[in-house]
Amino acid sequence: MKKIQGKYKVVDLVKVNATYYRLVLDAPALAKAVKPGQFVHIRVSDTFEPLFRRPFSVYRAKAGKVEVFFEPVGKGTKMLLAKKKGDVLDVLGPLGKPFTLPSKSVKQIVFVGGGIGIAPFMLFSDVLLKHKAEKILLYGGRSKAHTFPLNEFKKNGVATFVSTDDGSVGVKGRVSALFNKIDISPSTFIYACGPKPMMGAVAAFAKERDLRGEASMEEVMACGLGACLGCSIPTTKGYKTVCHDGPVFGLEELVFP
Amino acid sequence: MNIAINIGGAVYPNPVTVASGTFGHAEEFYGQEEVKKLGALVPKTVTLTAQQGNPPKRICETPAGMINAIGIENPGIDRFIDGKLPKLKLTGVPLIISISAHSEDDFALMVEKLNAAGGISAIELNLSCPNLQKKVLVAQSAEATSAVVRRVKAVSKYPVIAKLSPNVTDITAIALAAEEAGADGLSLINTFTAMAIDIKKRKSRIGNFTGGLSGPAIRPIAVRMVCETAAKVKIPIIGMGGITCADDALEFLIAGASMVAVGTYNFVDPRAPLEVLEGIKGYMKANKMTDIRELIGSIQR
Repeated sequence: MKKIQGKYKVVDLVKVNATYYRLVLDAPALAKAVKPGQFVHIRVSDTFEPLFRRPFSVYRAKAGKVEVFFEPVGKGTKMLLAKKKGDVLDVLGPLGKPFTLPSKSVKQIVFVGGGIGIAPFMLFSDVLLKHKAEKILLYGGRSKAHTFPLNEFKKNGVATFVSTDDGSVGVKGRVSALFNKIDISPSTFIYACGPKPMMGAVAAFAKERDLRGEASMEEVMACGLGACLGCSIPTTKGYKTVCHDGPVFGLEELVFP
Repeated sequence: MNIAINIGGAVYPNPVTVASGTFGHAEEFYGQEEVKKLGALVPKTVTLTAQQGNPPKRICETPAGMINAIGIENPGIDRFIDGKLPKLKLTGVPLIISISAHSEDDFALMVEKLNAAGGISAIELNLSCPNLQKKVLVAQSAEATSAVVRRVKAVSKYPVIAKLSPNVTDITAIALAAEEAGADGLSLINTFTAMAIDIKKRKSRIGNFTGGLSGPAIRPIAVRMVCETAAKVKIPIIGMGGITCADDALEFLIAGASMVAVGTYNFVDPRAPLEVLEGIKGYMKANKMTDIRELIGSIQR
């Protein structure tokens, strides 16, 4: 897998809703190379504050542009929010193991996205445009402020269901409350990305129904290259790095406390 | 321009290497041609038997630095020699193999395995390991450091470099003990024991409770320790601690280090060691130096 370190120009920074932003980079080499589930490691500052790059799952890679989703909550993401069109960012990527493409025998693909974890599924649905399986997105947000129109998914032929913790949009409850909205079969394949409790619920659901699936995990990272072993998480095969062995793991490999 | 460095008879083509535990799989990022430019490669510390490492969180970012408590996750010396060493040898870059052990016997056993494996340039002793007899790290005791170095030197067919901990009152006392016990070189410095606390949870931000601080934040202390030590020992020093660019590395060389290692900053910019090397050459050229020895220890008082 070829890794690229490049400097890319910010071409747009779009407010998605009250919570999320979308950063668009002019990065043809990256756009060509990136696969769904992979991430880019962005230096948000050329000072030592913050010291490390920040990892972002790729939301879209089209026409030479690479887009990432982010929520400005920490020091790094707040600095990213301050970027202007024309600013140049140092980016490493694409990094990590992508989602496994579903085989032709998969008849139903269920994307489960929690909050910002929806990001990789846009690119994934772009890539799967020609796959004949039924495609469903279950999206869970904290409140109305965390949801946004899912038109782009609908355009890709993905049926969408929404839940919010407070019930302000869609079904009230966690995204797992949407499981009963869909008719699963043994040929269903689940792809999940979101906060750990959600991933635990998805893994438990998959185990109970004997479904196959993968999850993209998140952890604090330093290098993003599998060198520092700082982002290791427990799996059924011992500690594995989220950045290099993951971020995508088989649901059955994951260990939840 | 002569920039080759000799440590205990092993020759390194240039003075720039990487600190143990900071390069790992980054060789996958480098092309073969780029790896070959490094003066030496120092892979992550290996122990006698496999270690699974510490539970998360293993790292936390701090002002201009990081705290880590990885727990020396490694496959053990046998699997390292069979699985990883052959690939490292293929790079053709001199290899400095970092080892750590819980007893002098285990250190000696690992060195014998490396003697048999062959094809390396030096052995680096990571002495920031618990000393079972005394409740301090080996590197915190001149006596324990001396005992380990002496034991390893008695069996090693390769030069031995002792990596010292900065968590001591006087690092020069430990350095002199290592030199006197026969060490061929010193690596200065390992990380500073540190903590960061999540005030919401009132818990340590590191799974292991404490960890080691590294990065630009510690550089001035590392430079001071290298300078003090270089004034007292005759053996070469590999200087490290927060190096991010050639100017940082030059401080260490001027302070008396013969080689320099990029550590934490590899996690930010994997190309940093190559830029450090180019920058050192550029500085020598600008200052009309033809031999790196004109630079090493050239601090004016």
